[in-house]
Amino acid sequence: MAPTRFGAILMSAKGRFEMLRAQSVLTTLAAAALLILVGLPVLFILLQAVFPDFARGSFAGAFSKLAILTENDRLMTQARNTLMLAFSVMLGCLIFGLPIGILRGLFHIPGARVWDVVFLIPFLIPPFIAAIAWMMTLQPRGYLFQLVGFDMGRFLFSFTGVAFVMTLNLFPLVYFAVSRALEMVGGRFASAARVHGARPLQAFFLITLPLSIPAIAASLLIVFAMSIEEFGTPAALAARTGFEVLVTGIYTRLSDWPIDLSGAALGSVMLMAMVLAAFTLQNWIATRRSYISQTGKPADLEKADLGRWRWPVLGLFALVGMIGVIIPLAAIAVTSLMGTISGGLNWSNLDTRHYQPIFQQGSRAAQALVTSGWLAVVTAFATATIGGLVAYIVVRGTGRGRAVMDGLSVLPNAIPAIVLAVGIILAWNSPYLPLTFYGTAGILLIAYIGILLPYPIRYAVARLRQISGSLDDAARVAGASQMQALRHITLPLMAPSLIAAMMLVFAIASRELVASIMLAPAGLRTVGTFVFSQFEQGSVQTGMAMSVIAITITSGILLAVNLWLARQGSSAFSG
Amino acid sequence: MFRTTALAATFGLIGTFAHADTLTFYTAGPGGLADALADAFQAETGITVNVFQGTTGQVMARLEAEEANPQADVVVSASWGSAVDMHDRGLLMEYLSPNAAAVPDFLKHSHYVAQGISALAMVWNTQSDAPRPSEWSDLTDEAYRDLITMPDPAQSGAAFDLVAGLEAAMGEGAWELLAGLAANDMIVPGPNAAALNPVLQGAKAVVFGAVDYISYAQAASGETIEVIVPDSGTVIAPRPMMILQSTSNPDAAKAFVDFVLSEAGQELVAATWMMPARADVEGLRPGINDLNVIEVDEDAVAARREEIIARFNETVTNR
Repeated sequence: MAPTRFGAILMSAKGRFEMLRAQSVLTTLAAAALLILVGLPVLFILLQAVFPDFARGSFAGAFSKLAILTENDRLMTQARNTLMLAFSVMLGCLIFGLPIGILRGLFHIPGARVWDVVFLIPFLIPPFIAAIAWMMTLQPRGYLFQLVGFDMGRFLFSFTGVAFVMTLNLFPLVYFAVSRALEMVGGRFASAARVHGARPLQAFFLITLPLSIPAIAASLLIVFAMSIEEFGTPAALAARTGFEVLVTGIYTRLSDWPIDLSGAALGSVMLMAMVLAAFTLQNWIATRRSYISQTGKPADLEKADLGRWRWPVLGLFALVGMIGVIIPLAAIAVTSLMGTISGGLNWSNLDTRHYQPIFQQGSRAAQALVTSGWLAVVTAFATATIGGLVAYIVVRGTGRGRAVMDGLSVLPNAIPAIVLAVGIILAWNSPYLPLTFYGTAGILLIAYIGILLPYPIRYAVARLRQISGSLDDAARVAGASQMQALRHITLPLMAPSLIAAMMLVFAIASRELVASIMLAPAGLRTVGTFVFSQFEQGSVQTGMAMSVIAITITSGILLAVNLWLARQGSSAFSG
Repeated sequence: MFRTTALAATFGLIGTFAHADTLTFYTAGPGGLADALADAFQAETGITVNVFQGTTGQVMARLEAEEANPQADVVVSASWGSAVDMHDRGLLMEYLSPNAAAVPDFLKHSHYVAQGISALAMVWNTQSDAPRPSEWSDLTDEAYRDLITMPDPAQSGAAFDLVAGLEAAMGEGAWELLAGLAANDMIVPGPNAAALNPVLQGAKAVVFGAVDYISYAQAASGETIEVIVPDSGTVIAPRPMMILQSTSNPDAAKAFVDFVLSEAGQELVAATWMMPARADVEGLRPGINDLNVIEVDEDAVAARREEIIARFNETVTNR
């Protein structure tokens, strides 16, 4: 906390009272939102884990399911595999995301706004589609073989292959977190180090990089949580090699008769424990010292020019973009345009007929696009509002429940979406509720906001830890109320992180699958469920065609927003 | 289901309003069929059918989670055993549609009736280097090394029925066959679609135990695959249709079941390349009487489910 408290002293008693009231109203709002969106489903999952017949309204046989924890060592193997995979993916994300994130944060990269949108595209591709795209590219007789005569099936269907594909789904998290954090740290501290005789690289590794540690740690925490929760990729690629993770077991319990809700809930509790441990570690790293770099002193915010490094750096961006974005996207597009899969890459096999069902007048595909579109927009704004508020209270507040709020906010990423969906059904479909969103599109909003809240919270918390509280105090001394200080000082400083998080949220919500399948009211389709049912019915090409259309529309929207922000002048949105 | 109104008015732009003229229908794929049935039924009766379509596992998980306050009226699953189980738990309403008269006795019960039937088969990519197989046991031949896929019995009820059926027909021989396939490097990549996809592209040559109607449809759309049903016999997977005891709209639910079992409804089922449940409606492909069907005692097999899956994992997937 900043030492400056003149403002408080100067204020009248009435003013101080208003300050406290404003803060407690905000805290109550944020806590209520978190409890309803996250705490409620988590509570019902815990109840289900303890009481096997909870879904039927019975509390019989408490703890009888705990036996599965000790009954076989398959579970332990799964837990070990889960952790190994998560650490490999974190490492992979650093390799892919860190260099380009640093460059984007510190230098003028030609087409920077466009690159931002390019690296958002992995989030627009549902993970199971990306896995299928890689499979069709690299497996024996896949596209790579058809083009150049060899395949990489052995690589893809292995531990490394799974980690590789999951890395490509997640590395942008590191890219965005690092580039935003470094933009904020800026060149000022490095310049000071240079004045004191440090060489450029020394200044970077001793000053600039350490100051962005909260952001890097926060993004790695999300990567960790998402890779232990991700099901599509291990299921598609690793099942055949006998490599099992915890989430595979959870899905098996939920995917075939007889359904074992309780066992699945228990498995999820293990995942939550893992993520809470990782969260504690990340929190320790982020708070054991100060990372404040934004104190309000006028700073040279100009980024450095790349000079003769321009082309090599662009080459690096292009390489990462090629592997992470272009290849899977091309595989999806090519598949959507094939008359038959077995016909292979022949011009005579080029056929647009699989797009027809989507463009039919009043088709269900069009409804799905509209539904996913408005759900994603509302989710993006709602998560940014709630997330920004929670982050503000966690970092700046004084209440005792702050750590609990912070921890609660990270849980949705740890719970497999299908289990969270079950928790939401149990919580919101209770016959005792006088009124409920269940059975309406509103339940999807509740699920999406709950699942995606961790992004804005993690991003904004990391950002706030870089902003000095004395800026607020200065505004207060100058006569601003707390709300005014929040609105005119803190919020604009948080905006870049919140906007980056909103774009992520929009991207992911626009194609969310697993919770949508479980929660969408009968008759309502989203892009994700539409694509999935196409795959299930065997029309792989129509599924891919729908993905192509959805990705095109969504990335177009994101590009437009990004360019509009650029025209507004980045000054409004950068530190 | 009436208590949603206030918030539904705000959020239910496309959401569902439950009243007398709507019916909620949960169904395992194919989705095209569910929509076609819903549209045709609405055209005939004016009753709106809201469809939720997923895999059998998703449908069942959702029913289970909603059990305190059920939402569905009519359910179709792809696993006969799930209907047996739900009936045992008293969740189903008794109803035998008059239109079920033409459905063979072994495909109907007082509380559930087949909507359509699929069979388990081998699906062979005709462009592959491997020769055309004609029997399950052919696939243990060296010519198919590393070229076979199979749906996971833990994830596909039909594949589970096949394992159980082969065991019923061949005894220990079934497990020797599966061990032989494992020795031939067969992969078990997941549910049906996951097993079929590598064969379409040619990464693998044959699916052992594919649900046949999807492949018939794909062959008809030009994929170079052939559905082969061994003469030695296979199992069938009837898809049970049932009305939940908790339905708030039993008349509409009964009318819907009647419609699905009407000639018009069964024509729609046949159009998906399944076998219609009614013996007097012609299918697009070989029917039950053309197949050598292995009888499976559903009750006995369901009781041994864990044992069979554990043995399968031990024999084939090494888990």
